Amino acid sequence: MAGEVTVMNATPLTAITRPRRVSLEGVHIAFDLPDGSRLPVVDGVTLSVDEAEFVVLVGPSGSGKSTILRAIAGLIAPVQGRITVDGAAVAGPPPQVGFMFQKDTLLPWLTVRGNIQVGLELGGVPRAGWAARLDELLALLRLSGFGDRYPAQLSGGMRQRVSLGRMLAYQPKLMLMDEPFGALDAQTKIALGRELLRIWDSERRSILFVTHDIEEAVALADRVLVFSPRPARIIAEHRIGLPRPRLVRELRSDPAFASICQAIWTELEA
Amino acid sequence: MIQLWRVLLIAGLLLAWELAAGRLFNEFWSSKPSLIAARLWTMLWSGELARHTGATVSEAGLGLLCGGLLGVLIGVVLARRPRVSQVIDPVVMGLYGLPRVALAPLFVLWFGIGLLSKVMMALSMVLFIFLLNTLEGIRTIDADQIDLLRTMRAGRWYTLRRLILPAIVPWIIASVRIGIGLSLVGAVVGELIGANRGLGWYVEKSGGQLDTTGAFAGLAVLLVLAVVANQLVVLIEQPLTKWRAK
Repeated sequence: MAGEVTVMNATPLTAITRPRRVSLEGVHIAFDLPDGSRLPVVDGVTLSVDEAEFVVLVGPSGSGKSTILRAIAGLIAPVQGRITVDGAAVAGPPPQVGFMFQKDTLLPWLTVRGNIQVGLELGGVPRAGWAARLDELLALLRLSGFGDRYPAQLSGGMRQRVSLGRMLAYQPKLMLMDEPFGALDAQTKIALGRELLRIWDSERRSILFVTHDIEEAVALADRVLVFSPRPARIIAEHRIGLPRPRLVRELRSDPAFASICQAIWTELEA
Repeated sequence: MIQLWRVLLIAGLLLAWELAAGRLFNEFWSSKPSLIAARLWTMLWSGELARHTGATVSEAGLGLLCGGLLGVLIGVVLARRPRVSQVIDPVVMGLYGLPRVALAPLFVLWFGIGLLSKVMMALSMVLFIFLLNTLEGIRTIDADQIDLLRTMRAGRWYTLRRLILPAIVPWIIASVRIGIGLSLVGAVVGELIGANRGLGWYVEKSGGQLDTTGAFAGLAVLLVLAVVANQLVVLIEQPLTKWRAK
């Protein structure tokens, strides 16, 4: 086999910059109170999420992290600063952005299939593809066999899976998740986190995820942004280099994982 | 078991009435079940029963239907415009508080002694029930559900069809239940003021002729109508609200 040439690529692929999915520049958000005063909730936040990046905002409850998600989703407008999604300034809900609340917000009069179909309908998926995509999503979310149940007949964890299914059916490029597993018990929370990572690994959408659970944040994220109490400011940023796929059970005994969590604890307590 | 007790109770009451009439009090004032049944039998074969019942049912039914549709429609529109709702609130509550029975003479004047004046009476009785229940039902919708559909850029019609209307179904059913009785009241009051047919007219005419049996016969049919209509609502309600079951 003389003469065969092996070419080694010397430039690492990590140098390639990925397109920006979301960017916030100097965003201030305030709420008008009934007594006429203004309550500052978000205090000059600048951040960005790249394509296929998983960014987690962590901070105390009620600190204004959710407000940031709502502003990106176009539900509320900042008093100052600029928000863009896919390069376009946000004025009203931008296209292809999925939202998931801590509450399941399923429509109780629709079955599991009906609720996921809402995502297909609004996501502009051609009707011919609905049945197949529904079956696929039910299988992906381990909900096969529950398609004809109503939300009232499901556990909290299953309802959040349906919410996730509805969001995925909508075909978002960006998923905004506001403490989506916050109301669940610890085991269900870890199981759903694992499934979210599995889905994210295969579909590679951008995720901006809010939580007050530090371990959840570090286990899921490419990048963790640590927020102050209200009004929300970013006080630290961590790039999480832990290898993927990550298993929460193994992470728990990983000293690197523990030290990042510890660092974030310290920052939050400062 | 409960069914059995219900039947026994009704049979007992009728029996007590039958036995008491003519013994404890004068039959002239109270009539008695056997006479009333005989009268209904005669009316059935003479066609009077169908004519009067048909008139009252169409007046009350049309009033309920139109009042319901109008009330829900106005409610849905007002819910989208909270400012307008606030402005007209005293007017709505004023009209709601007004004893609409007192409008009957005017309605006969405006809409004649035919079907229309009774339909309008029934409509005026039920309209506000539907309107206020619709507003209240929409108020109970979770703001996050509205926001969620907004983030998916759902249009106004989509939100109405998928969220608003299904959410108010239980409220509409409750309104129908209350509305059945009220629409019958409206129709009958309209008939009392000016008519030539209908169960209310029959009761009024019988009373005028000191015919207590006739008056009770009319009342008996009205009572049966209300019960049957309520049972129909129960039948419709179950499939519409099955999602509530655990």
